[in-house]
Amino acid sequence: MRVILAAAVLAAALAGAGCKPSATAPASNTQTAASPAAAPAPRPKIALVMKSLANEFFATMAKGAQEHHAAHAADYELVVSGIKNETDLGEQVNLVEQAVAQGAAAIVIAPADSKALVPALRRAQQQGIVIVNIDNRLDADAANKAGLSAAFVGPDNRDAARRVGLAVAQKLKSGDEVAIIEGATSAFNGQQRRAGFEDAMQAAGMKVVAIQSGDWEMDKANTIAANLLSAHPRIKAIVCANDNMAIGAAAAVAAAGRTPQVLVGGFDNIAAIKPLLSAGRVVATADQHADQLAVFGIESALAVLKGAKAGADRATEVDIVTAASATGPQPRP
Amino acid sequence: MRRRQFPPQSDLLVLLLVLGALVALFGLGTDGFLGKATLGSIANRIPALMLVSTGMTLLMVTGGIDLSVGSVLGLCGAAAGVLMVDDAWGLGPALAASIALGALVGSINGWISVKLRLPSFIVTLGMLEIARGLAFLATHSQTKYIGAAIESVGAPIAGWVVSPAFLIALGIVVLGQLLLSRTVFGRHLVAVGGNVEAAAISGVAVDPPRIWAHALLGGLTGLAAVFNCSRLGSADPNAGVGFELSVIAAVVVGGTSLRGGRGSVLKSLLGVLIVATLEAGLVQMGASEPVKRVVTGCVIVAAVLADTWRRRT
Amino acid sequence: MILRARHLTKRFGSVVALSDVSFDLRAGEIHALCGENGAGKSTLIKLLSGVHPYGTYAGHIEIDAGEARFRSVRDAAAAGIAVIYQELAFVDELTVAENICLGTEPARWGFWLDRNQAQRRAAEVLARFGIALDPATPMRSLGVAQKQLVEIVKALARDSRILILDEPTAALAEHEVERLLAMLEELRGRGIACIYISHRLDEVFRIADRITVLRDGATVCTLAPAATDASAVVRHMVGREIGELYPRKARLRGPALLEVEDLAVADERGRQRLGGISFALHAGEVLGVGGLMGAGRTELLMHLYGAWGRRTAGRVTLSGRPVPGEPASVLRSGIALVTEDRRRFGLHVEESIAFNLSLSSLGAVSRGGLLRPGAEQKRNADCARSLRLKADKLSAPAGRLSGGNQQKVVLGKALLTGPRVVLLDEPTRGIDIGAKLEIYRLIDGLRADGCAVLLATSELPELIGLSDRILMMRDGAIGGRFEDGAAIRPEDLLRAAIGAAPRPGRL
Repeated sequence: MRVILAAAVLAAALAGAGCKPSATAPASNTQTAASPAAAPAPRPKIALVMKSLANEFFATMAKGAQEHHAAHAADYELVVSGIKNETDLGEQVNLVEQAVAQGAAAIVIAPADSKALVPALRRAQQQGIVIVNIDNRLDADAANKAGLSAAFVGPDNRDAARRVGLAVAQKLKSGDEVAIIEGATSAFNGQQRRAGFEDAMQAAGMKVVAIQSGDWEMDKANTIAANLLSAHPRIKAIVCANDNMAIGAAAAVAAAGRTPQVLVGGFDNIAAIKPLLSAGRVVATADQHADQLAVFGIESALAVLKGAKAGADRATEVDIVTAASATGPQPRP
Repeated sequence: MRRRQFPPQSDLLVLLLVLGALVALFGLGTDGFLGKATLGSIANRIPALMLVSTGMTLLMVTGGIDLSVGSVLGLCGAAAGVLMVDDAWGLGPALAASIALGALVGSINGWISVKLRLPSFIVTLGMLEIARGLAFLATHSQTKYIGAAIESVGAPIAGWVVSPAFLIALGIVVLGQLLLSRTVFGRHLVAVGGNVEAAAISGVAVDPPRIWAHALLGGLTGLAAVFNCSRLGSADPNAGVGFELSVIAAVVVGGTSLRGGRGSVLKSLLGVLIVATLEAGLVQMGASEPVKRVVTGCVIVAAVLADTWRRRT
Repeated sequence: MILRARHLTKRFGSVVALSDVSFDLRAGEIHALCGENGAGKSTLIKLLSGVHPYGTYAGHIEIDAGEARFRSVRDAAAAGIAVIYQELAFVDELTVAENICLGTEPARWGFWLDRNQAQRRAAEVLARFGIALDPATPMRSLGVAQKQLVEIVKALARDSRILILDEPTAALAEHEVERLLAMLEELRGRGIACIYISHRLDEVFRIADRITVLRDGATVCTLAPAATDASAVVRHMVGREIGELYPRKARLRGPALLEVEDLAVADERGRQRLGGISFALHAGEVLGVGGLMGAGRTELLMHLYGAWGRRTAGRVTLSGRPVPGEPASVLRSGIALVTEDRRRFGLHVEESIAFNLSLSSLGAVSRGGLLRPGAEQKRNADCARSLRLKADKLSAPAGRLSGGNQQKVVLGKALLTGPRVVLLDEPTRGIDIGAKLEIYRLIDGLRADGCAVLLATSELPELIGLSDRILMMRDGAIGGRFEDGAAIRPEDLLRAAIGAAPRPGRL
């Protein structure tokens, strides 16, 4: 009896909710004052879906976006969301769906996985939402098969990684042993950075003795680096696909007391890496201008919303940062 | 001396009230929350949680617990992914295989806990690690992209708001409640969980219900794994990390006791809805991830306190 | 007059537990308090001991002619009142000395436990009351009776002047009861007053100076034992005329159903606990099993049911076929057990009465695994009616019933399986007189229906009153067999239980 009663109540609640129209009322009335004659166009809502906001890189990205929004508040509404760690794909799908439900006009997303987010993004695009892909490129095959087209705004990860690798290799002798700690293996940007490191090491004549995945996480990289140091006593450098992992690796190197002998390279140029750069525990990193990445993505989305054709991919600048240039960018070699 | 007694129906009402209050709160506090789209998106993200909470309720009624459900979710999803991509199995057979694998793992958990008389907490803690490792091995630590073949289950049905996954999960919740309240098996579950010695003296075989409850939970987790994969179009070996905590939270909020003997699948469903609505609402309001976790944790503690207070009066 | 309670009234919501109760106690008096369960004895005790503080009841309590306003149990203890409950309040893990000093531990500099001082204090108190017990003994190794003595000593160590004992002899054997009563008499001599709550009227009449009877929350009367007798007291307690305490027995004995031959059973540690047990149980008879605590009655019944022990010799057959070795199968073969500890082994106290009644026989009200609620409800209602179960609704939790009604539920659960043999272990322990009578009636009904009943009980009057034949157990074996109920004398039974020179008896 109670089962039936409860099921009925539930059904009624869902039905009742379904009947209510989705609220899309504009949050501010400034438009009305400006153009009384025409009906005010509501500001489009742009949803910025990040990876883990615990990673300083994405926090900087979000901050940059918010600063841009503050300067252009009249043009659009911004909603920023992130997931709790680098690998919670299910949660990121939830965030995409929620953005859709909230009536977002565009979604600017740094996907945690290059393939798994495709279905949810395609569903969003089918509802007329503009999708802009930043930071980690969606898998081209999967996107094509699903019929998803999203412009990519981001750096050439491979080239940037190559440059970091060379900066590190400069301080080594030919034939030295090096290791690579890569990001999540199914992330496109991670794959690209690994390839870039390999390019660099090959060009400089170094011996790559190990490649392992740290899943972008500091803890994991720390453990992996510690293991590498004991397994390869003659190792001379560990290059990591992001700064979080580089910090972890540098800590392992320091704990083993081999800081001057083993060089560490990173990627992202987060604030936390700067002291390590000055102290010489990390040799080089790449600055993707995180604060700009999101902004470029948002600008791209706004352009499409205003009527421009779906943008082509846009490559963003990357600067290599070393201890010497920690205060400013270095010219490309 | 008769103490004032709250009728059991009142817990159901309290849960509905809390749910209603949350919906109203978020509906007023944000825009778009009460729309079909948001509620639909909540409905479509919870089928896995609904299924596993149903199974977990039945198990917790017997006094057991399973901490490995998150890992098993990942493992079964990985198995389904591998079968569909590498061996070109269809959705149906892969689904059956996932359920079977989950049931097998559950049976192992159950058999070891019951026959060797080890606390299920410890046994499933070990299985949590084993299953997760196996999931990574099966997929070579990479997400396995499956594609359209699996997506139809989790995507909203054209014209409706909800997905087939949600409807199937709802049906199973109803079946689960009927199993608990209207079958001999259900009675045995309650008897074993409430007082196993009295149950034995009363002539109830006390081992089979517990093992079956573990197996059932495992099978439901296998089904949930496929639903989960359909949302990503892929099998993610990391799927389900921390999932067991969400399940236990939902079941506890729904009023099932961790000590066994009392439980209701229906109330666990309300627990699921409350937890999911809370999370969705907090995201809608722009709360950061840490804030979400703190608030959700407080709600769970409040639910347990309310339950304990009610028992004392 | 050391304590005076005047016009006490206590309500719990709409239920009136005590209504205008007045009671007084003199120094050096043993004042017995009698009444059925639910009569208000526990509530009165809780008021006197500070569990229900001043302000939650109407009326007043005076101690030494000064008004007592207890705000907590501590206040009452400070005023010299100590309660010894049925569920003893000690800590198994600690020693005797530590338990005696619990709450008043001697400590150096306020927090460092002074073990020697505790030992000395405990030894002194034990000696004062003539109890030969080493204070360093762990509580766990003591028997129930000894634990109770420690409880009393603990109360006395705090200079209590008023002891309240709640059913103190319920779990004691005959000689332990003797010792307790002797101790109380000695305390009386020292001026300590006692409120003695008990159902055992023989003890009450032996030791009490006055008897107060409560019924339905009110005082009925206060009597001097010399001026009255047991049946008058029972009449006051129950409020109605009772016929014979035990139903009349007609000889109904049929063929032998359960046959036990040379049974020997060891426990899980391999120690032999039962040996050389042989008897036959016939349809339509009640075979009583008596003996002191530890004689093996419960072990025998539990073993026959397949719930305890490993058989090392002998056979048990039901109508010629061997009896299975585990409870579910034994139940199916037609043997039911009503256990001694009903809260632990007999009931699911948080579940409804209906749940409990049906649990052993769900097959009869289900089809293909699916329960048939209509059939179940009807059957439960019929069962409750024939048991004369006093409960508002069958959906209420079983734990809230009185002891007697709980026992009826356990009995009902067993009877609904339609057994041919019923094993009863202490079926009337902790139950008030009215409910006892009803259970006796039910047992007699079982006899009349042709069931074979094996009744284990420690109450001799009950054993003699209900049984057709009696087996007295001693140290795991049969110490004596007695036929023909009317001719049995309690002394003979006791002799067989203790092992004094056996009188000639027939097999």
